[in-house]
Amino acid sequence: MIPGLHHYLIVSALLFSLGLLGVVARRNLFVVYMGLELMLNAANLALVAFSRFHNNLNGQVMVFFIITVAAAEVAVGLALLVALYRKRQTAHVEDLTTLKL
Amino acid sequence: MNYSLITLEFLAALLGLAVLVADLWVPSTARRALGLGLAAALSCLLALAVGSLAPQSGSAFSGMFVVDDLARYFKGFFLFAGLAVVLMAVEFAPKFGAGLSEFFSLTVFAMVGMLCAASANDLALLFVSLELVTVTFYVLNSFQRTRLASLEAGVKYLILGGVSSAFMVFGIALVFGMANSTNFAVLAAKQKELAGSAVFLVGLLLILVGLGFKIAAVPLQMWAPDVYQGSPAPATAFLAIGSKAAGFVLLIRLFIGALPQVTAEWHRLFVVMSAATILYGSLCAIPQRNLKRLMGYSSIANAGYLLLGLVAASYTATSAGPTAMLVYLGGYAFTVLAAFAVISALANHVDGDDISALSGLGQRSPVLAAGLTAAIVSLAGIPPMAGFFGKVLLIQGVLAAAPGHPELYALIAVAVVGVVLSLYYYFGVIRAIYWGGQSANLSTIPVALPTRLLLGSCVVGMLVLGVFPQGLVKLADQAVAGLSHPAAAAPVKAAH
Repeated sequence: MIPGLHHYLIVSALLFSLGLLGVVARRNLFVVYMGLELMLNAANLALVAFSRFHNNLNGQVMVFFIITVAAAEVAVGLALLVALYRKRQTAHVEDLTTLKL
Repeated sequence: MNYSLITLEFLAALLGLAVLVADLWVPSTARRALGLGLAAALSCLLALAVGSLAPQSGSAFSGMFVVDDLARYFKGFFLFAGLAVVLMAVEFAPKFGAGLSEFFSLTVFAMVGMLCAASANDLALLFVSLELVTVTFYVLNSFQRTRLASLEAGVKYLILGGVSSAFMVFGIALVFGMANSTNFAVLAAKQKELAGSAVFLVGLLLILVGLGFKIAAVPLQMWAPDVYQGSPAPATAFLAIGSKAAGFVLLIRLFIGALPQVTAEWHRLFVVMSAATILYGSLCAIPQRNLKRLMGYSSIANAGYLLLGLVAASYTATSAGPTAMLVYLGGYAFTVLAAFAVISALANHVDGDDISALSGLGQRSPVLAAGLTAAIVSLAGIPPMAGFFGKVLLIQGVLAAAPGHPELYALIAVAVVGVVLSLYYYFGVIRAIYWGGQSANLSTIPVALPTRLLLGSCVVGMLVLGVFPQGLVKLADQAVAGLSHPAAAAPVKAAH
């Protein structure tokens, strides 16, 4: 069997859902952040698949932009999470309770 | 290709880098002077942008980047906002501790992202410019590294912003897959066939999620109160005006300019979004005791009012809706910047941002008290301030489309209820300023000249836009007129 476009899209949708599940269900900020990266890569997979099957390279160029932006986001995000950890000695979502009414 | 179109963005980015380099030679005692220099440079750029050196109309980078009246309108808007935020940061400086120059240059980089967003005519540029804004704001929001509240605001913005951009990227992938292009002009030309594709519509909905996060519309408003409260005041100000307007300019370009047919199909979604946003913002603002958190909820409610323009555009083909959005945003900029200029100036003299801490402000600093009062009056939509006229225009736009659509009358009723509720919580702030009971500390608060100038120009702006709005309305009309793509058919009236 030769994998077609819809096979790639199903894998991409699965990856996206798994990433979203990680963001929603996991309590550790670092794992939540990994879920986020998974969601971005699901979109990359879909873009490359569309690009390959439509013979349109624009999609792959878009993927490079996304990878670059994701790298910048990770650099800033991890620095921020580490700064929070130093201050609070925790990386759990439940402990972010300074700001409320 | 016409590279001269990006002169403004290029100069602004150079300015940001120049500040970083200059930081190496400027002694740490003169950082505030560096900020004032940057503000002077930005005001030159603003004068050039609205004056003789305004970028000519045209498009570059194979149609990705357009300059038209809409882009020029928002470029002036973002340059003014950036300039005001730099001045606020100069005033706020003692609270930052180290890294003041980095705050300046990051503000400029976020502004460059907004300038690009004003010209974005392609999903790729939409994504990159919005991410430039968002990633910069992760840093700006958590800039007070030693304050837990600021770090927490940054982390909340990081996680929720990351989720919303992941949704947006997946939406872009689906739209690209169906349309085989990411250019708005191509999407506009193909919209008839694309509107029948469920995958395309899902993709577009995911892009709307990303934009809805930026403008803080229900159901993507969860972050706004926490982040507004925790971030340093100048960063909050930029978030409230710059980041929100960047979301709106892209919303206007994509949903009103490029895809009017899809927007017409989705009219019910926009009605529900607008009504829910107004109600959520207004109701939740009532019990608030923290001024910045109150501004967060007020910003949600204002996103709802601005969405009225999108609702009007989804029902009729007239340009009344987007014109009203542009006019309202113009007045809103002066209003929010005035309010945050006062909050930034107070940060060094008042403990915390509680509304009760404003007590005695009327005696301690009549200038700041008057500035904040003017801003609050405009936010509440009381004439003769700009906020009143903007709301009237938005509601008029919906009213013009309302005959035959009972849900629009309900929406107008919701908007009016929101305005009435807002009178209550805004009045609480004014009461605290002038009749706040005994304040232990009655020492006068010195106000620096740059802040006086900024406050003065914002108050004059609010008054002028409230009393003589014709000039801005004409400008906004012009900006919206060039919006629709020639390839796109005239928007069909919503099918019922």
